[in-house]
Amino acid sequence: MNHGLGEFEQLVLLALLRLGADAYGVAIRDEIEQQTGRDVNLSAVYTTLLRLEDKGLVATRLGDPTPQRGGRRKKYYRPLAAGRRELATSLQALRSMTRGLTPGLELP
Amino acid sequence: MSPRPPRLALRLLSWRLPEPDREYLIGDLLEAFHERLARDGTAGARAWFWRETFHVFTTRWPEAPVVSPDLPDEASMNSFLHALRAGLRSLNRVPALTALVVLTLALGIGATTSVYSVARAALFGAPPFPRSDQLALVWETERNGGDSNVGYATYEDMSREGVFASSAAMSYWTPTISDGTETTRLAGQRVTWRFFDVLGVKPMLGRGFLPEEDRQGANRVVVLAHGLWSSRFGSDSTIVGRDIMVNGVAYRVAGVLPTTFESLLAPGTELWAPLGYDTSLEWACRTCRHLRMVARTREGVTAGQADQAVDAAYNRLKATFPDQYAGAGMTLTPLHEFVVRGTRPALLALLAAVGLVALIACFNAANLLLGRALRREAEFAVRVALGASNRRLASILVAEGLIIAIAAATLGSLLAVVGVNVVVTLAPEGVPRLDQVHIDATALLFAGGVALVTSLAASVLPAITLLRAGIQGGIRAGARSLVSGRHRVRGMLVAGEVALAVMLVSGAALLLGSVNRLLAVDGGFAVQDRLTMELSLSGPRFNDSGAVTQAWRSVINAVEAVPGVSSAALASQVPLGGNVDMYGLHLEGQSGRSAADDPYALRYAVTPRYLETMGVALRSGRALAKTDVAGSPPVVVLNELAATTLFPDGSAIGRRTRIGGGDRPTYTIVGIVANTVHEGLDKRRDMQVYVPSDQWGEESGMTLVVHTSTPVESATGTISRAVREAVPGVAISKVATLDRLMDLSTADRRFALALFSGFAGVALVLAAAGLFGVLSATVVERTREIGVRTALGAPRGRILAMVVRQGMVLTGTGLAFGLFATWGSTRVIASLLFGVGASDPVVLAVVAGSLVGVALLASALPAWRASRVDPVIALRDS
Repeated sequence: MNHGLGEFEQLVLLALLRLGADAYGVAIRDEIEQQTGRDVNLSAVYTTLLRLEDKGLVATRLGDPTPQRGGRRKKYYRPLAAGRRELATSLQALRSMTRGLTPGLELP
Repeated sequence: MSPRPPRLALRLLSWRLPEPDREYLIGDLLEAFHERLARDGTAGARAWFWRETFHVFTTRWPEAPVVSPDLPDEASMNSFLHALRAGLRSLNRVPALTALVVLTLALGIGATTSVYSVARAALFGAPPFPRSDQLALVWETERNGGDSNVGYATYEDMSREGVFASSAAMSYWTPTISDGTETTRLAGQRVTWRFFDVLGVKPMLGRGFLPEEDRQGANRVVVLAHGLWSSRFGSDSTIVGRDIMVNGVAYRVAGVLPTTFESLLAPGTELWAPLGYDTSLEWACRTCRHLRMVARTREGVTAGQADQAVDAAYNRLKATFPDQYAGAGMTLTPLHEFVVRGTRPALLALLAAVGLVALIACFNAANLLLGRALRREAEFAVRVALGASNRRLASILVAEGLIIAIAAATLGSLLAVVGVNVVVTLAPEGVPRLDQVHIDATALLFAGGVALVTSLAASVLPAITLLRAGIQGGIRAGARSLVSGRHRVRGMLVAGEVALAVMLVSGAALLLGSVNRLLAVDGGFAVQDRLTMELSLSGPRFNDSGAVTQAWRSVINAVEAVPGVSSAALASQVPLGGNVDMYGLHLEGQSGRSAADDPYALRYAVTPRYLETMGVALRSGRALAKTDVAGSPPVVVLNELAATTLFPDGSAIGRRTRIGGGDRPTYTIVGIVANTVHEGLDKRRDMQVYVPSDQWGEESGMTLVVHTSTPVESATGTISRAVREAVPGVAISKVATLDRLMDLSTADRRFALALFSGFAGVALVLAAAGLFGVLSATVVERTREIGVRTALGAPRGRILAMVVRQGMVLTGTGLAFGLFATWGSTRVIASLLFGVGASDPVVLAVVAGSLVGVALLASALPAWRASRVDPVIALRDS
């Protein structure tokens, strides 16, 4: 059943780790945009989060409503242990695969 | 105030986004919007918001788990309430699909409930009389099987035989009542004194008739209908015992009927008087069958026993009067049967048709739900693997079905309220109790029943599919070839929809053909700019036949003097006027023949310009002329049918015939005119004879026919006024153009056609939607295969053809079954057909053509999509 994580799923999980307690939709999107320079739409972030939630890799909690959000609550995400494991596995695979290729890919 | 995001976009978002996620998703978007405002300004932020909205719509939102992690403990999870909530959440994940399923079912429920409500009032309501199952009409049966009225002597003898608990005879009566200023002609009945007792009706005020009032000369008493009492007499409760003017003489009011009384034996009747039959008159003979007879069978006697008793009594009569009873026997028609037999075929056909619509809706909903079920197979497999019980899963599926049923029933009932009004508006006159049609508790119960059955039926198939998937779980998960095999069930559903649609489209096409052929029938007379109205003279001043002659003459003169009138005439009856007066023709030189064997012809006593006014073509000889008056030699004009039937050698003109009984004069045939229809375009042609009304003898009721050179509608008022001024006190009724009467005579078929066309349209749309759904789903699933084919060099045209072919195979299968079923079921609408058969090639071509056309349309988009599949993307995606 385990086919590993998709690339965007990895990015979202990494964003969760970077953001810590403040990880919710807009923040996650901003984080990915800033770090990767990609143009990311919120729908893509949400569907990925829903998928991660479905797979049991992230947990959620609802925050407090703010006037800026029209009185709507935020939904915060944090990675579960299973999520960290999955991420580690994927990154490990990536690292193994890139070993020795650094000069060819012109990575720093 | 700071700028806000586009309101429409917000609304679209909250419609599209699944409920539990909606709140924080929109919250995030709003927050981001405010950030954008600071950065990009209002226009930029709004554009960005629309972009995000677009992404939300193009994103495929995953269906959330039915059992969400925040559900409480295991125990309460078993309760059905939770299943309902879970079902609601699950349906909420796919709002568009749910809406489509509910709408489809609601359409079927609404249509079925509307037609059912009309049909129930007309067909299934028992007549509003106590023990109405005991009431029956009594007919003499002709040798050709037709029913005929009875003679008074026959009625009396049958009553004396004691076959029935009670019985009454009745005849039509068209009295005029006058209150000094206005004279109105009414529909009335003359009845034997026990009439109201037989029906079991007690007058609300006063009493019914007494035996001593049922005698010639003593019968000037009336019973009023409730409607007449309130409209003409101001609901005056002191009216009983007072005199009112009927036909110009005083009649005493004996009673007033309750508002619940419905004159089913003679619709529209408002006034009753005792028959007071004078048995000394020449038309009191046993073969003078001009009375209608109603009887109440004895308590505890079955219909079969009653029939036997009537036959036995008839045979005794026949033994006593062998010359007078040449018919086959007597027939009892239950009252309910009598009331509904005119409209039953049309209404049953419509019920059947609307049943098909409901079935198609059900198939379509099942198809949609099955499509979703196939997408959820993997989810269910996982669920079972995680330990969810089959019972739990089944209860969620049943809950989904119930939620759909409730929503569809609610919407369907609302549609039915609208639909009933449409049906009632379209319905022709003559459908019984149209005024009583409404959506009541029974109709709602019916709607609920239909909703429950259709919704659950539509949910069962998908549920079975899913549960089976759950059981076989892991084996099946991801096995694509099996999934596409499962589409065979959807294919069968679609073929079924096509077959049902074929039946409805065939019905509509057959009716369309019938109506077209019917309208193409040559009635034999002109209908344009022809006005008819029934006139009747009543009261003592018209007892003298000279006064009647004078009155009719002044009517003609006055009307012909109206500007715009080309010609005017009076006739004892006119085509489509509702009267059928037939007389026996006894040719000169046939003295050996008995009068009972004379052939019958429609007899029109007319003023000289009648044939000209009606536009009936003269074939040979001459028409009637002004010179054919009372003293001159009696002349008659025949129609072609009579001329060729009676004189096959073509020697009609100059020959002589007697019309009616032995004391009637003999008429010389002077002309032959075209045949005209009499009762309607679809009815058989009869022999017709036209005699000068001057020579026939005056009648106090005649129909005026006017041909105008100006539009007839604008002349109607002037003509009526001219008639009233010429003969004060004349009663005018049934004012109508021949155009309108012709329309009415085809109204029942056009009604059926209108509803059938509507149903057929709905059926086509649903079948097309079903086909579209299945083809789209298979294209999506075969994307990889199509990609491989394209990569291997298959031309786009072939890919296109592959999908279209799949659509055509389904359509063809449905078409074949549908045509076969149509062929087997045309009996249902047989009575509505005219001049077309079920195997009419034109009809078959129209049906097949429309189905194939619609199917091609439905296949076009999926086929085009398939042909656009990019092999690179298709193969990379997998």
